[in-house]
Amino acid sequence: MENYEKLEKVGEGTYGKVYKARCKKTGHIVALKKTRLDMEEEGVPSTALREVSLLQMLSTSIYVVRLLCVEHIDENDKPMLYLVFEYLDTDLKKFMDLNGRGPEKPLPSALIKRFMYQLCKGVAHCHSHGVMHRDLKPQNLLVDKDKRLLKIADLGLGRAFTVPLKSYTHEIVTLWYRAPEVLLGATHYSTPVDMWSVGCILAEMSRKNPLFPGDSELQQLLHIFKQLGTPNEQIWPGVSKLRDWHEYPQWPRQDIARAVPLLSKEGVDLLEKCLQYEPAKRISAKDAMIHPYFDDLDKSLV
Amino acid sequence: MAADFWASYQSKQLLSVEEVSRVAEEDLELGLTLQDTRLIKIAMTTYMRDLAQQAKLRQRVVATAVCYMRRMYVSKSLCEYDPRLVAPACLYLASKAEESVAQAKLLVFYAKKLKPGPENGAYQLEVKDLLDMELRVLEALDFRLVVYHPYRAAVQYLNDAKLTDVMQTTWSLLNDVYRTDLPLLHPPHVVALGCIHLAAFLKDRDAKPWLEDLKADMHAVRAVQMELLDHYEQYANIDPALTAAAMAKLPIRTRAART
Repeated sequence: MENYEKLEKVGEGTYGKVYKARCKKTGHIVALKKTRLDMEEEGVPSTALREVSLLQMLSTSIYVVRLLCVEHIDENDKPMLYLVFEYLDTDLKKFMDLNGRGPEKPLPSALIKRFMYQLCKGVAHCHSHGVMHRDLKPQNLLVDKDKRLLKIADLGLGRAFTVPLKSYTHEIVTLWYRAPEVLLGATHYSTPVDMWSVGCILAEMSRKNPLFPGDSELQQLLHIFKQLGTPNEQIWPGVSKLRDWHEYPQWPRQDIARAVPLLSKEGVDLLEKCLQYEPAKRISAKDAMIHPYFDDLDKSLV
Repeated sequence: MAADFWASYQSKQLLSVEEVSRVAEEDLELGLTLQDTRLIKIAMTTYMRDLAQQAKLRQRVVATAVCYMRRMYVSKSLCEYDPRLVAPACLYLASKAEESVAQAKLLVFYAKKLKPGPENGAYQLEVKDLLDMELRVLEALDFRLVVYHPYRAAVQYLNDAKLTDVMQTTWSLLNDVYRTDLPLLHPPHVVALGCIHLAAFLKDRDAKPWLEDLKADMHAVRAVQMELLDHYEQYANIDPALTAAAMAKLPIRTRAART
């Protein structure tokens, strides 16, 4: 680690601290993600290993944060692992708050579209490599302010899916961006869980407020049901067979356009397609990229 | 830290027969021959498979673990990286990378039960040894953990070629591929085609017209097939005494000596 000069602590990742640092050899600014190794029981955390392997596959896209190298060193006799990443100045959550919080300070709609396109492209890249992220949220999307570039980060919970999918632990996505099938205890879920999160992020960029800010799994479901209507077997075949399904209050569907008043008609249409209850009917990242919402975006400049 | 550091890694890592047939200097000094190193790696491949069965790990984990081990010994010596430790460490690492994590304790428990050879009564593996070796393996592999396997490609090819009746034979051949260095020499789809070619031949089916349509690199496909046949000829019935003799040339390192 003598190759790097730590400049400041910039955050806490899924499994350790993140530092901004300067590479002494090249002068480049990098992000160091520090992981303590538990040499008594399980060694290198599997989340760290998973992130390394997935990033080795995915770092070829500019919309996925680049892993530069991995270093293992001993600090005060304790073994540490450092993942060395390219450094980006901020994340989407901080970026949204930059000019003030709340709906009175909207982001330019062209910028939202640009970010949304980059996000879909990054997610499509992951999905085409058989990887779902499972924890997409504004804090996990890094932003280069000058280049107006968005990159997917924090793949610690990502999973390379191989067919057939087997049971997953469902304690994953931060509640606000968590897809209803995960909340309802589905054991076989797949890439549509990421597209639900993408929809939530689009809405949040537009309204400058989280769309479904639940603070428990039940509250999270109720937030969703109040907005999109309580699902039933007609709307979502199989929903009542899901493990954690109960009887819920019956709410009618609300017009989602009213939740995102600044979003264009096409934007609302894309949002609705991301927030489909039935996972199989949810739009894929690849199809989202050719949605009419992006028609007036100069894709060569993105 | 080149721009596309990882981009073409899978293709860059393919090795030549000469590269995988080199015996490390330190191993030569101990009297290990190329044949010895092959026998040890085959024994460890079997050991990993048996260990995985006990610990209920998938075949995919075994396949990945074997690739780690074989890739390691391209640059590292057997005497410096004791295969009896490397084998369970690779399995442990692969179980994490392939997301069916085995508990270190459990793996050590089975490794103690299932010793890698008859002469290893003095050999003791503890959790700490496993975790130390895991780190050394990771560094030797330069943290490159993604391994592509030929299984899925083979199934697709067999369906496409309407040769699904040789699926079982192909599958057995694919499993045996890991007893050789073939996964380091050829891309997975070529390995898959080589196994299909051989399976079809063994089952009296003609895969040639389909293979020719595919415009595959027939030279490479045949090389895979020859290597496999060669392996069966030489190593189908290994005299356990030969393997034991090879293993006996390796020093047994006590924990104190290792640290």
